[in-house]
Amino acid sequence: MKRFIICILCTLVILTGCWDQNQFKNIKLTLTIGYDKAEEGKIYETVSIPTVKGSEGVVEETVQVLSSDARTPLDARDKIDQMISQSFNPSKVEVVLIGEELAKSDIYPLLDNFYRNPSSNLNAQLAIVEGTAKEAINFRSTGDTKISEYIGGLLKAATSSTHAHGHNMQMLWGEMIEEGEDFALPLLKVDEESNVIKFDGLGLMHEDYYTGIKIPPEQSTLLLLMQGNKGNVARMTRKVRDDQPTPILEYITFQVMDFDRKLKIRPEGDEVNVDMTLNLNVTVTEYPHDHLVDEKIIEKLNKDLSNVLTEEASEVFNITKEGNSDVFSIGRMLKAYHPEVWKEMDWAEDYKDVTFNPKVNVTIQNHGIIN
Amino acid sequence: MGFFRKFFQGEQLQDRKIADDQQEPQQPSTKNLSRNIDYLLNEFKYTDDLKIRVLKKGDAALLYFEAMTDQEKVQQMIFNPLEIGKVDHIYDIPNAKETTNLEECIRSLLRGHAIYMEDGHERVTMFNVTSVFNRSVEEPANEKVVRGAHDGFVENLMININLVRKRIEHRDLTVKFFKVGKKTNTNVAILFMDGIVNPELVQKVEKRIQAVHTDKVQSPGFMEEFIEDSPISPFPQMLNSERPDRIVASIMEGRVALFTEGSPTAIIAPSTFFMFYQSPDDYNTRWYAGTFIRLIRFASFLIAVGLPAFYISVVSFHFEVIPHDLVTPIKSSINEIAYPPILEALIMVVIIELIREAGIRLPSPVGQTIGIVGGLVIGDAVVRAGLVSNIMVIVVALTAIASFVVPSNELSMTLRMLTFPLIFLAGTLGFVGLIFGFLLIAVHLTKLESFGTPYFSPVAPLRIKDLKDTFIRLPIFTMKQRPKGPQPVSTTAVEEGAREWKKDERSNQSKNK
Repeated sequence: MKRFIICILCTLVILTGCWDQNQFKNIKLTLTIGYDKAEEGKIYETVSIPTVKGSEGVVEETVQVLSSDARTPLDARDKIDQMISQSFNPSKVEVVLIGEELAKSDIYPLLDNFYRNPSSNLNAQLAIVEGTAKEAINFRSTGDTKISEYIGGLLKAATSSTHAHGHNMQMLWGEMIEEGEDFALPLLKVDEESNVIKFDGLGLMHEDYYTGIKIPPEQSTLLLLMQGNKGNVARMTRKVRDDQPTPILEYITFQVMDFDRKLKIRPEGDEVNVDMTLNLNVTVTEYPHDHLVDEKIIEKLNKDLSNVLTEEASEVFNITKEGNSDVFSIGRMLKAYHPEVWKEMDWAEDYKDVTFNPKVNVTIQNHGIIN
Repeated sequence: MGFFRKFFQGEQLQDRKIADDQQEPQQPSTKNLSRNIDYLLNEFKYTDDLKIRVLKKGDAALLYFEAMTDQEKVQQMIFNPLEIGKVDHIYDIPNAKETTNLEECIRSLLRGHAIYMEDGHERVTMFNVTSVFNRSVEEPANEKVVRGAHDGFVENLMININLVRKRIEHRDLTVKFFKVGKKTNTNVAILFMDGIVNPELVQKVEKRIQAVHTDKVQSPGFMEEFIEDSPISPFPQMLNSERPDRIVASIMEGRVALFTEGSPTAIIAPSTFFMFYQSPDDYNTRWYAGTFIRLIRFASFLIAVGLPAFYISVVSFHFEVIPHDLVTPIKSSINEIAYPPILEALIMVVIIELIREAGIRLPSPVGQTIGIVGGLVIGDAVVRAGLVSNIMVIVVALTAIASFVVPSNELSMTLRMLTFPLIFLAGTLGFVGLIFGFLLIAVHLTKLESFGTPYFSPVAPLRIKDLKDTFIRLPIFTMKQRPKGPQPVSTTAVEEGAREWKKDERSNQSKNK
């Protein structure tokens, strides 16, 4: 009897064999996936699959780009799977791109399969392409061999220079389903003339669709600071002088060393007032006029910059209102601190009526190593 | 006055013997010389190397095994005193020993003694003229240290005990001899510190040794298999060492060391898992360095046991966990490989074991060549031929190196054996299998006992105090108590105030100010 049981156990172990193995060498990895709008409510999926050849350190890569139109993302995936030699696997996807047109309708249905599958890479970046995603994935750059590397690197750089949030799909999930909170996705644009893909600001989302309204790259840094986010470097160039012999002398470039943001919500009857104070301690990185040791000059610059940025902040607020995109999570704060006011409101409509009173204070604290 | 009392009461003092042989058979000698010799020759089956020198014109005989005795000693001890005229008769030579029991003569002849018998006398005189061949107490080749003692045990039991006694000059160091092996009559000695060691432990060891009934005992390995708690376990439950300092340290912790004649290896009972990871080197460097090296050794345990299994489960089940930047290099290296990773790993592990085994058997210059040819040429060719991926070569080579980091050869072997079941588990069930494998090992280690001591102490059962010398090594003055493992009777190892001088000096300084 004992021997019998041992035999059974051994056979069980051996016979299970490798039935649920998923060999890494037998799959085709997809590193970039793009979705576009096709006719009759269909979607158009484009994937890039790098095929690696050779070993011994020298790695040759050929990138295969395949497209297919189908009803749903997984339907499209099945169709693509029928075109390639081995099985298709999206679990190491680095970038998910969505075409502008498709993004203007709900994007959650496109991403549902990523959230549902435990092996998918929720660390992937999500971006909207002005034009079509297919165009961006088909793009052949001169420098980077893989499109995923190119776009991924671009988005990472934008994050570290305080232009984009750098939120991955995992973080976007919360923002997507939460009421009273909206988000912004990085916008990419294929520049045919100079043969590059470039970062083109932040696209404002409302609930889970793209409003079509964007924050230009020059102002995205300020938006991020107003939200309380700062990457490794936050650098801005602003005009502070007029009537100079050459335009280059009219500008100052500074870098934010540290900042402090205060947001206060004052509901007064039906109206919601939001006071925001943003204190920026900056270091001047470029200012050809120099004389930055003079206190008067510094005072003046501080004042001028504060005025310019305060004005810009109101502009940014107005853009978000235009897109009805509550990227500052005012709705959520209202819900938390003033629930009685929140209950009365229909946030999808009332965000537009919020009054913003921004105030930006700039203090120059450092001016580099020359006087 | 006890000595005199005994003397007057007729109770004669007896020589102390290595092993108690009272229950051995007795055969009284007779007055007839030729009958005595006949008896001895008959008992020795007329072996040709038993030399009989007839003296006094046939009235006396000197018997000895030619192979066992030193001719110079025979001359010096027996004939020289006669020639010089110090003594009149061989019986009067002072270092002789007498008996009337022929069985005892047999035993002493086997030990290499010479016996002298005379016609008309019952008494037989025995002389210790054994020839001894010893090598010097060199450092054991497989337990080298950078700093510290460079001597090692040899094949002679007495020299080994001498090495231990020199290191522990204390009256409590106790040696007990046993004769084990029906035919080989091997001397087995146990050494322990009375007053530190738990008496129950000594009893247990003695009882187990006395229960060994076998023809031969060749080495401590034989004894180990007879007396260890669970022979089925892959883990060695007794620490083997050829280093006197290591053995002495264990004896001072209240453990029992076991030596056998004819082998330079001593074994320690009880041993715990973590003892196999301690090396005398740890205590000869600064304690930071000792800690660092010891942590590396423990990391090597995980690498040696689990790395191939981990790699296999990653590339055949869970490639999602590969970091982004490594995806393409790994993919490119395994893409063209014909075999599944589990087979790759088995091929490589077997190749490494082959190279290792071949390296041991061959003479050292050839062994090195084999290492180079095997390691470099085969490793490179195997990758180029597309049989094994180069990442697998890295993984298996790392595993092999990690398994040699363990200071004990036995445990190193165990680790390499344990790799195989884990490879199979990982190849069939992925991470789940790997976790099950590690779980089973952990359960087994926790359950295992060595002479009543939990094998995995001081981790299970946990004793925080003993962790000072387990994963890390704190300064020696902080290890105030002996490890709880062998349950020593006396627990204090370092007394309070071992570094009191520092406080004194400080207070002196402040007074002077």
